[in-house]
Amino acid sequence: MKPAAFAYHRPASLEEALSLLAVHGAEARVLSGGQSLVPLMNMRILSPAVLIDINRCRELAYIRREGGMIACGALARQGEAEASGLVAATLPLLASALPHVGVRASRNFGTLCGSLAHADPLAELPSVAAALEARFVIASARGRREVGAEAFFVSALTNCIEPDEMLAEVRFPVAAAGARTAFLEVANRGHGFAVAGVAATLEVDAAGRCAGVRLAAMGAGDTTVRLAAAEALIEDEGLSAAAIAAAGEAARAAVEPTADVHASAEYRAGLIGVLVGRALRAMAAAGPR
Amino acid sequence: MREIEDFTLIGKTILRREDSYLLRGKAQFLDDLPEPRGLIHLAFVLSPHASAEILAIDTAAARALPGVIDVLTGEDLAADVPPYAPVIELAGYRGVARPVVARGRVRHVGEYVAVILAESPYAAQDALDLVGVEYEPLPAVATIADGLAPGAPVVHEALGDNVIFRTRFATEGFEARFAAGEVVLEEEFSLGRVTGVMIEPRGCMAWPDPIATGITLWTSTQIPHIVRTAIAEHLGMAEANLRVVTPAVGGGFGTKCHLYPDEILVVALARRYGRAVKWVQDRREDLLTNVHAREHVLRLRVAVGRDGVIAAADLDVRTNCGAYPNHPFSPTLEATAAVRMMPGPYRIRAYRYEAASVLTHTAPTGAYRGTGQPSAFLAIEGMMDRIGRRLGLDPAEVRRRNVVRPEDFPYVNVVGVRYDTGSYLPSLERGLEMIGYDAFRRAQPADRLVDGRYRGIGICNYTEVSGTGAPGWRVRGFARMPGFDSSRVVVEPDGRVAVYVSQADAGQGHFTTFAQIAADRLGVAWEDVTVIEGDTAKTPYGTGTFASRGSVVGGGSVIRGSAKVGEKIRRIAGYMLGCEPSRLALGGGRVFDRDDPGRGLTLREVAETAYSMNNLPLPQGEEHGLEATDYYDPPMVTMANGTHVVEVAVDPDDGRVEILRYAVVHDCGRVINPKIVAGQVHGATVQGIGEALMEEIVYDGGGQHLNASLLDYLIPTAMDAPDLALGHIETPSIDTVAGIKGAAEGGLTGAVPAIANAVGDALAGLGVSITRVPLRPSTIVGLIAAARAARAGAA
Ligand SMILES: Cc1cc2nc3c(=O)[nH]c(=O)nc-3n(C[C@H](O)[C@H](O)[C@H](O)COP(=O)(O)OP(=O)(O)OC[C@H]3O[C@@H](n4cnc5c(N)ncnc54)[C@H](O)[C@@H]3O)c2cc1C
Repeated sequence: MKPAAFAYHRPASLEEALSLLAVHGAEARVLSGGQSLVPLMNMRILSPAVLIDINRCRELAYIRREGGMIACGALARQGEAEASGLVAATLPLLASALPHVGVRASRNFGTLCGSLAHADPLAELPSVAAALEARFVIASARGRREVGAEAFFVSALTNCIEPDEMLAEVRFPVAAAGARTAFLEVANRGHGFAVAGVAATLEVDAAGRCAGVRLAAMGAGDTTVRLAAAEALIEDEGLSAAAIAAAGEAARAAVEPTADVHASAEYRAGLIGVLVGRALRAMAAAGPR
Repeated sequence: MREIEDFTLIGKTILRREDSYLLRGKAQFLDDLPEPRGLIHLAFVLSPHASAEILAIDTAAARALPGVIDVLTGEDLAADVPPYAPVIELAGYRGVARPVVARGRVRHVGEYVAVILAESPYAAQDALDLVGVEYEPLPAVATIADGLAPGAPVVHEALGDNVIFRTRFATEGFEARFAAGEVVLEEEFSLGRVTGVMIEPRGCMAWPDPIATGITLWTSTQIPHIVRTAIAEHLGMAEANLRVVTPAVGGGFGTKCHLYPDEILVVALARRYGRAVKWVQDRREDLLTNVHAREHVLRLRVAVGRDGVIAAADLDVRTNCGAYPNHPFSPTLEATAAVRMMPGPYRIRAYRYEAASVLTHTAPTGAYRGTGQPSAFLAIEGMMDRIGRRLGLDPAEVRRRNVVRPEDFPYVNVVGVRYDTGSYLPSLERGLEMIGYDAFRRAQPADRLVDGRYRGIGICNYTEVSGTGAPGWRVRGFARMPGFDSSRVVVEPDGRVAVYVSQADAGQGHFTTFAQIAADRLGVAWEDVTVIEGDTAKTPYGTGTFASRGSVVGGGSVIRGSAKVGEKIRRIAGYMLGCEPSRLALGGGRVFDRDDPGRGLTLREVAETAYSMNNLPLPQGEEHGLEATDYYDPPMVTMANGTHVVEVAVDPDDGRVEILRYAVVHDCGRVINPKIVAGQVHGATVQGIGEALMEEIVYDGGGQHLNASLLDYLIPTAMDAPDLALGHIETPSIDTVAGIKGAAEGGLTGAVPAIANAVGDALAGLGVSITRVPLRPSTIVGLIAAARAARAGAA
C-alpha cells in the first residue's frame, strides 16, 4: 500500500496542465478525484513517473448549460452533479445513475470526467454517456477535439486520449421534453460496483408512441455497449409486451460479458436482458416527466 | 459462587467510554504508535505460486537499493527461527510445522519467501520487486475434493496424504437406533471460504530495551499472553524478558487469535539487529495470508419418526485447513467444533460423527466468529426444514418437537456438554411471535409468489458455546490454551480503583464493562475505575479475548477479584471503626455499617491505612496494600442460545435476495451492559448476512487466490444492515460467576442458517434446494434455472 516514487505537479490552469502534459505525457497521469488512481498506485498496479494534479485548475470546476447541452468541466465532482438542480432538471438519467456510483465519500472527490476517463467496464457513467450520446472534449497543447462515446471508449480501462491530451469537458444533450429514462443495475451488495446494469432513454411522440429509444449496458463486455438490435426492435415494433420481451432477448444475445469472481458471463447476459425489459416497461408505464 | 442479588450497575446501559476516542479517530492503533529511532521496516516477498520448489533467490539488486538494510531468505533465518507448530494432544492429529519464512518449498499463494529490512516502508516496498525468485511450479490442490482424490499431490510429503486430522465418535447402539427411524433424510451442506476482515489489518513492532535484554512486542492480537509464551519458548528467551502489548486493536473476530510468523520474526530480528523492527500488513496481505475460515462440507443423515422427532443423526464433516496448522488452534479447531456443536438445542440422543481436516495449497484456516457453529447449524437447521417438507409438518413445529425443553435442564448433550440453563423453546416462540409467523404462513400463497418475488421465512435456533474453560479446551486437544482468565483489582492510595485484566480488547467495550463490574462490586463511581489490559507486564496471565469468553471469564474474574478486595476493605475498616467486618457494606465510595449508614469511612480513608499513609495500625496479621488477584477457570463451556427468524423476498429474474424483516431473540444469561450486548448481536448478525449472501474467498483449481482486495471480496457495511428487531431473554447460568454467558458469536451463527432457510422456503415450490452459502444473485438464478431444467427433463 505504498506507491512507487513519482514527480508531482500541481498546475493552476488548464493551459499549464496541457503544457505539462506536452512535456511528460507518455509517463504522466492526470490526477483528478484520485478515487481510482490512488488505490491503483498504492497497489502498484499503476506506477506513473509523473502525476499532474488538476485540482487547482478552478476553471475546470463547472456544470453549466450551453444552449442545448450541459457542459461539465474536468473538475465537476460526481457529488456536485448529484446535488445539482440543473442536472436534476435537464439530465434525469445522469441524476438517477449517480447514487449508484461508488459511495458518498468517493463521489465527494471523484469527478465525472475521471470516471469516464478511467473507462471501467463496470462503471455507471460510461453507459450513461453512451445512452445520452454525450460528447467528449479532449484538449492538448495542440488544440481541442470532440468525440462520441463509441470513439472514446476503446476497451477495458482504455480510452482514446493521446498521451499529451486530457479530457477537459464532457457535454450531455439536455433531455427532450417528455423524455423518459431509467437506470437499473444489480450488484452482489447494495452499493459499490455492480455486476451489470442498463442505462435507457425513451422519447415518446404526442400519440404516446415510441419516437426513439437508446439503451446502453455496463458489465456487458470490455466497454459500455449500445444495444442497437434491442433499440431497433422497439423503434420498429413499439412498446408492446411482446416487443419488450423480444428486445430483452435481443440484448441478451448481443452482449459478450466476461466471467469474474462476482458472476458468470451467462448470468450477466441474462441479467442485461432482464434489466432491458424492466427499463422499457418502467419507461413505457411512466408519464412524461 | 453464591448468588449475587444486589447489582447496582451490572445490567444497566452505560455508554462506552471507548467511543469518545474511537469515534473521534484518537485511538492509537499499531501504525499510530510513535516510532523509535533507528526503526527497521519490514516487507515480505510473497509466493505467487500455490505449490512450487524454490530453486534460487537473487537478493543482490534489492540489497543494492538505497535504504535497504538487508534481505533475508528462509535459509538465512533457518538457524535463528525454526518452523513452529501448535501443541495438540488429540488422537487422530498428525502435526506438521510451519516455517516462518519458506525454505525450499512454498505451499500457498502469499507464503513468505523472503523479508526486506529497510529504513522506510517505501524503500522496503521498492525492494520487493527487485528480489528475483526462481520457482519450479508443482501441481497444487485447492479444494477438499481435490485434496482427497486418489493420487492427489501431497501438501506435506512426510504425512503421506492430505488428511492431517481425523476423528470419529458414535453412541452405543447407534446403528440400531438409526435403523429404528421411520424416515431417513440425507443432505450435503457446504459453506464458502471466508475471513474476518478486521478494519485494521495486523501489524507488529518489536522494540529492544537498549540497556537490558528485554524486548517489547507491540502486536495487534487478541491473545497477548499466549503469543508471549509461544515466542519466548520458540526463540529460547526468558519469558520475563518479553513483554507483549496490544495497542488499540481494530477488530479481531478470531483472525487475530493466532500466532503469526511475522510476530516471531520481528522479535528475532530485533534481537539480531539490536534495533526496533516494525511490520504493518496491507489489505492484500490480510486477505492472502491471515487465517481464513469455513470451507466446510457437511453430510448429514437423520433417521426420523413420522412425528418429525429425530431418532438418530449421522454427520460427516470435512474442512479445508489450508497448507499449515496455525498456533494455538491447529486444524482440529473447526472440525471438532462443527461435530461437537451440531446437536445444538435439540434432543439428539443417538449420534455418530466423523470429521476430517484436509490439507490443501491454500492459506491456513482457523478461528473466525462462530467457529464451526454456522456450519453445524446450517446443516441441522436445514434438516429441520427438510423434515417438515417431507412429513408435511410446519418447520417451526418440527423444531418444537425436537428442542430441549425447559424441564430438561440441566441437560447433558450427546457428546457430554452440560447445558446448565437455557431458553430454547421460549426463545423460539418469542421469535415466531415477533415476526408474526402464524399470520405469515396463513397468508403465504401456495406458489409463495408476491408481486413477482418469492417470499419465505427461515428459522435458526442456535446454541452458542461461550466462556470455555480448561476442560473444554483439553477435550479438544488444545494443550496451549489455558482456559482461565485473571484480574488484579487494586484500590489505589487515593481510593480509586485500577483493574488489570488478562484479556485484550479489540473493540468489544471491555474498558466500559469491566469498570462497570468493578464499580458495582466495590460500590464506587464508575468514573473512578480504570481498566488496564493487553499488556503482559501489567496484567496477570490469561487466555485472551475470543470465543465469546470476555464477559464470562474476564468479567467473572473481575467480580471475584473485587469481592476479595472488598473483604479486605471490610476487615481494615472494621478494625478502624471497631465493629465486625460482616456488618459493613460498600457503596457510594464508602464502607459503612449496614444498620447505621452514617457510621463509615471513605475508601480513601481505608486506603490511607492500608498504604501506611497515617498513624493507624492494620489489624493483626493483615498485610499492607489493598488489592487482590483472581484466576478464574470457568466450567467446560457455558451455553448461550437464541433464535433468528427472517423473512426474505427472492427475485427469480435477477436473483436478488432482499431481507424484509428480521427478528433476533438472544439469551446470554446475566447481561452486564444491554447496549453493548445489542451491539454484539447487531455486528455479528451483519457479518452473518455477509457470509450468507456475499462473502467468499475464491481460489481457482490451481490454488491461485482470485479476490485479494475489498473490491472483489465483498463485506457488508452499515448500508447493508437491515432493521433488526431484538428480543432479550435473560436466563442466568447456574455454573458461571453471576450467571454470565457469552454473546459475541450467536448473531453470526444464527444468521447464516436462517437466511439460507428463508431462501430455501421461498424457492421450495420451484424444486430448489439451498445447500450452500453464499447465495449471490448469480447463484440463485443458476439454481432456479437448474431446477426448471430438471423439472422439464422429468416431465
Ligand atoms: C469505495 C469506492 C467505491 C467505488 N465504487 C464505484 C462504482 O460503484 N462505480 C464506479 O463507476 N466507480 C466506483 N468507484 C470509482 C470512482 O467512481 C472514481 O471516482 C472514478 O472511477 C474516477 O474518478 P476520479 O476523478 O476519482 O479519477 P482519478 O482516480 O483521479 O483518475 C482515474 C483515471 O482517470 C485518469 N483521469 C482522471 N481525470 C482525467 C481527465 N480529466 N483527463 C484524462 N484522464 C483523466 C487518471 O489519470 C486515472 O488514470 C469507487 C471508488 C471507491 C473508492
